Amino acid sequence: MSGDTLTLTLRIWRQNGPNEAGGFREYRLSGVSTHMSFLEMLDVLNEQLIESGEEPVAFDHDCREGICGMCSLMINGQAHGPDKATTTCQLHMRQFADGDTITIEPWRATAFPVVRDLVTDRSAFDRIISAGGYVSVNTGNAPDGNSIPVPGHQQEKAMDAAACIGCGACVAACKNASASLFVSAKVSQLAILPQGSQERTSRVLDMVNQMDEEGFGHCTNTYECEAACPVEVSVSNIARMNREYIRASIVAGE
Amino acid sequence: MDLLCKICSWPACLLARLPGIGPIVKMCFTSIGQKILMALTGLALVGFLVTHLAGNLLLFKGEEQFNTYAENLHSLGGALVVAEVGLFGAFAVHMCLAISTTAMSRRARKSSYAEQQSKRDDVILGGGGASRFMLITGVLIGAFLVLHVADMKFNLRDKLGITQFEHGDEESGNLYLHVRQVLRDPVTRVVYLVALLGLGIHLSHGISSAAQTLGLHHRRWNVLIRGGGMLLAWAIALGFLSIWVLGFLK
Repeated sequence: MSGDTLTLTLRIWRQNGPNEAGGFREYRLSGVSTHMSFLEMLDVLNEQLIESGEEPVAFDHDCREGICGMCSLMINGQAHGPDKATTTCQLHMRQFADGDTITIEPWRATAFPVVRDLVTDRSAFDRIISAGGYVSVNTGNAPDGNSIPVPGHQQEKAMDAAACIGCGACVAACKNASASLFVSAKVSQLAILPQGSQERTSRVLDMVNQMDEEGFGHCTNTYECEAACPVEVSVSNIARMNREYIRASIVAGE
Repeated sequence: MDLLCKICSWPACLLARLPGIGPIVKMCFTSIGQKILMALTGLALVGFLVTHLAGNLLLFKGEEQFNTYAENLHSLGGALVVAEVGLFGAFAVHMCLAISTTAMSRRARKSSYAEQQSKRDDVILGGGGASRFMLITGVLIGAFLVLHVADMKFNLRDKLGITQFEHGDEESGNLYLHVRQVLRDPVTRVVYLVALLGLGIHLSHGISSAAQTLGLHHRRWNVLIRGGGMLLAWAIALGFLSIWVLGFLK
């Protein structure tokens, strides 16, 4: 069963702190099981580093089930690695061949500063959500489920947008480091539903404003974000956000 | 780049203070607003290209037809001047926004990746395809325009004694013969060819991208919008190239 283990060369970005210069370090790792996930492979590397008295590689992770949006990593120049619709934690080492060199970098965007090694600060996304990605309702008792009718196709669209886990792969994959796919998903999931549509005007203006303030780039429609998105959020949301934005700026008055 | 941005944005700063249109001008300071304005001016310029191409194809009909068309156009007088100012305005806004948005994306990613690969499976060119060349092809088209307007409208190269175009400019001379002569000039041949191929690349991303930016996105129509945009882009570029070929005919 020699085909079940790999020997890899890892080129990993090491950076001690936000304001320190970083660079690539190469590591040889052997005995990597093809059944491991990418993060488990990094765990094995870190154990070896700790044993040899070196600093382990810092990387973000939490649920390891592909739903929390914490893991990131630019793997060989692709956000979340070569698999489609997959987060880094769900990427398996069987996607790589024995003897491969794997380049691992953090997300690179001015709005996502590197904290350490492969960890970036993505709180810019939280501030965009705080700017308008919510519904201001008085939550009393749970309302009757059918009191507000929502057509099935609208529900589907809202759910597809709400699938966004906020990992930042869209920003990482975009040549302009634009957050359009993330912001448009958050704008869309609320604008489509009757509960959220009440605040659609101020929401889109405030969230776009915050997006610009955080220093993300502009959208030039290369659709790399959609391809990199682990939950396949569609760029149709960006078109919807732009329509919402035009409507809010020109027609609607609040 | 940032300094250029500031210089370009001061007329807009003044406009933002005007009552009534203030909110709309303010929108032009945001990333989405700038892209929307970019799309609108771009599509307006595509509209101009279509009419310009239609008129210029009369070159193939012969001297009389082309010169009559030119005379009729010039008989518009003041209206033509207004149209020309509008056209210049659309170009100017489009170019200023190009500088502004490019600066925005440079600021958004200061350190680049050691390696980057597309995850799209339908791209011919990775890393954004034709969109990677929007700035460079735009600059090429801009440089071409300077030469084009200088030659065709003002006959500037002749007046400066660089070339010997004997048929005068569009006001006094025979425009048909003048155009034919300019097209035979070696500098013209090179600049026009490069710029027109650049125009094809620019529009092949620009037209469908403008549609998406303006919110025109629908599963049923996307193939038509993207395919149609590509088709229109190369129809315009190849249409103008057919006139470029005229420079090699007797």
